[in-house]
Amino acid sequence: MELTGSHILHAPVQKIWDLILNPEFLAKVTPGISRLEQESGDLYKAIAEIKIGPVHGKFEGSAELTDKVEHESFVLKVTQNSKIGNVEADIKMVMKPTENNETELSFDGVANMSGLLARTGNRVMSGVANTLTKQFFSNFEKELLNY
Amino acid sequence: MSNKYIGQSVKRVEDKRFITGEGRYTDDIVLPRMVHAYILRSPYAHARIKSIDTSEALAMKGVVAIYTGKDFENINGVPCGWQVNFKDGTTMREPKHPLLVLDKVKHAGDGVAMVVAETKEIAADAAEAINVKYEVLKAVTNPKEALAPGAPLVHDEYPDNIAFDWQIGNDKAEVDAAMDSAHHITKLDFTNNRVVPNAMEPRSYIGDYDTAYDRYTLYTSTQNPHLIRLLMCAFVLGIPEHKVRVVGPDVGGGFGSKIYHYTEEALVTWAAKQLRRPIKWTSDRSEAFLTDAHGRDHVSTAEMGFDKDGHIVGLRIKTYANLGAYLSTFASAVPTYLHGTLLQGVYTTPKIHLDMTCVFTHTTAVDAYRGAGRPEATYLLERLMDVSAHEMGIDPAELRFKNFIPPFDGVNQAGYQTQVALQYDSGNYHAVLERGLEMLGYADFKEKQAEARKNGKLLGVGFSTYIEACGIAPSAVVGSLGARAGLFESAQVRVQPTGKVNVYTGSHSHGQGHETSFAQVVADKLGIPLADVEIIHGDSDAVAFGMGTYGSRSLAVGGSAIVKSIEKVLEKGAKIAAHKLECSTDDLDFADGKWTVKGTDKSIGFGDVALTAYVPHVYPANLEPGLDFSSFYDPANFTYPFGCHIAVVEVDAETGKVTIKRFVAVDDVGNVINPMIVEGQIHGGLAQGIGQALLEGVIYDENGQLTTGTFMDYAMPRADDLPMFETDRKTTPCPHNPLGVKGAGEAGAIGSTPAVVNAVMNATWHLGVRDLEMPLTPQRVWRAMNHK
Repeated sequence: MELTGSHILHAPVQKIWDLILNPEFLAKVTPGISRLEQESGDLYKAIAEIKIGPVHGKFEGSAELTDKVEHESFVLKVTQNSKIGNVEADIKMVMKPTENNETELSFDGVANMSGLLARTGNRVMSGVANTLTKQFFSNFEKELLNY
Repeated sequence: MSNKYIGQSVKRVEDKRFITGEGRYTDDIVLPRMVHAYILRSPYAHARIKSIDTSEALAMKGVVAIYTGKDFENINGVPCGWQVNFKDGTTMREPKHPLLVLDKVKHAGDGVAMVVAETKEIAADAAEAINVKYEVLKAVTNPKEALAPGAPLVHDEYPDNIAFDWQIGNDKAEVDAAMDSAHHITKLDFTNNRVVPNAMEPRSYIGDYDTAYDRYTLYTSTQNPHLIRLLMCAFVLGIPEHKVRVVGPDVGGGFGSKIYHYTEEALVTWAAKQLRRPIKWTSDRSEAFLTDAHGRDHVSTAEMGFDKDGHIVGLRIKTYANLGAYLSTFASAVPTYLHGTLLQGVYTTPKIHLDMTCVFTHTTAVDAYRGAGRPEATYLLERLMDVSAHEMGIDPAELRFKNFIPPFDGVNQAGYQTQVALQYDSGNYHAVLERGLEMLGYADFKEKQAEARKNGKLLGVGFSTYIEACGIAPSAVVGSLGARAGLFESAQVRVQPTGKVNVYTGSHSHGQGHETSFAQVVADKLGIPLADVEIIHGDSDAVAFGMGTYGSRSLAVGGSAIVKSIEKVLEKGAKIAAHKLECSTDDLDFADGKWTVKGTDKSIGFGDVALTAYVPHVYPANLEPGLDFSSFYDPANFTYPFGCHIAVVEVDAETGKVTIKRFVAVDDVGNVINPMIVEGQIHGGLAQGIGQALLEGVIYDENGQLTTGTFMDYAMPRADDLPMFETDRKTTPCPHNPLGVKGAGEAGAIGSTPAVVNAVMNATWHLGVRDLEMPLTPQRVWRAMNHK
């Protein structure tokens, strides 16, 4: 499944970059996340519970930031396992300042799924991914005001 | 003999319990102290198991036991039922299909661990707590790609993914020469799409072990209880067959997918003894998509050659059959002896050659699916016929008439010897096509089509004149072809003292209506009311033996065994009657349930004779008491039903959506015992055949994940996808079984698929569309019409 899109966040790149690297903040804005712990450096342990339509499961796994170019981009590698299947995703995140000194965050990547997640088909899964992405950015914007 | 029931549309006696919710399926059975199993399955199509940690799961409350591949290292896997040899005579490759995987998973859904717990929910939750570490490997799901150098290997010991290669027909050089001489050759690449059988009842098994009697019982949603017992006892678990009872209670459809002896059957039986508790496992629907044997999945290049007058001179086919990761029970038979032997079709083709390569891939095992090999053969032939006709500018019906084998009844005219091993028993192929054209109103149709075209409507007609080999099968013949079992059937007719009759048949009913149609035969043959006959099937403790239900064999083989036993009952009954009437058996006539002394009104009824047999006070000397006979019937030949299916479709020029406007089916299944049941079988088969053509299709992604694993992603035919079927029958009796029946279970699914595809091609021919991969979704059709 391909994951692409972009979103304008109402804060300068510097602030967005810092927030994204802040596990406490990320745990608040990422939908379904119940625990996010820094294991070492850029490697995080994540536990999430997702319930959207037919997709319902508890996910455990890791998230790792690699290929970091400060204030510009990084690659997010996510491995999540659950009873309903496993997800492995490689997503490139790029931050660009806009004219109004806000940040355009764009992402581009591929998620490979197995198990029931794969069998429910791309039609359902891409809908789920869209919903989660929207929730993420809407949470992000709300939480942004507190930082 | 009376003629009160045979040929009548008697309402199915079993339907009352089915439609009132009183059917008793395996999952309805609850045994005392029963525990529940959940199978943890591989999420990956191809991966090495690095480690399995069950400690957390085992510690959970309610968990009784957890088994993994290690527990089955020294236990055999489930076997394949047919041994087919490579062209060079070496034995096919038969990889172990372990009850649970030890080291390497080979398809998404491969069983990795079995959790047994007090409830199904606890077992499922515990399975989630099992920590399996995998090393994920690259997978291959397409048979041709699996043969490419460097393709991922399904079984490391077989470095080319080939299970076996095989050929049938005339000498290849002769066929090549015939094709070289052809005036016209039609050549097409075909894909016969993989489908999921989707029986309404998911698979369900209960294993039970009785310590007091050292005896196992397996309740199973199977098509062939005795066969499962034989395979499980002799090939897998090595337990004594006489200590095992296998019961196939009410079973909600099989379509071939419940022939297979599945790993879970052996797992619950084995573990029941380990735990001394009954164990139930029931598949959920998602698991069924992933683990029930799939059907079809052939990739072919087929060529048909014609002389200048339109007579077929040769047929040359290269096919790759995808068998999946493991060999199912009929895996090796379906693409070979149930497919290659049908390539004569109903035509006089003088030279035929099939070159077959059977391939392992990282996919679910393929087994029989309604028609099993015969639909694949019919698809090639009937698609080639319609395309050839259009290419040569000959009417497709006319081209068929030109090439039909002339009528033969198998009595006055000999059977027809094909180029591909079989000898057809009887056939009249002209008659079914003539009737089909008449029902269609073909002459008028052509005018309508021309007019529709003018108005921008894409109307098309497609034909299919199929033949199938049913009544499976003469044991000696299939034995010589590699079957590891005989394919006879058994029947016991037990007349009770009051003249009521219990019939024990080895043929299993999972929706076919045995309890009605078999009883019709018995009631008429004995001249007793239908209500006086009970048909018992599916219990290995009650029934002597049985080879099960598939290949449209129930009535032709199982019914014939019943007739044999009835003949024995009547022969002995006549002796008792003669004694009571003080005459010779030669002086007796049997009709309408009584023996009458010829030319007199002296008679004795069947009930009185039955009572005398059990109260033998006045009784012939040297005659045993009782009236109870068993028989085994081994057919002399396959039976060969045939028919003509015609589809009329309209293709939406804007969207590519195909609508079936009419569907005409004229089938000749030999004599018919219950026309309504035959009609129902034809309707069901048509729905499945049309489903394959327009809607159904399995898609694996590049990682071997089944992406069509729910009813949201896999389209089953629904009532509004189908027209009102226009059906009729012709009758060419089978000359070699006592009922003259041929079998009707698969005909609909065999004939209909190419008729529908032919009709769509006919509707879009002028737009340059020659062949499309099934299912013919609006998107595919639209793209082809618009060359996108």
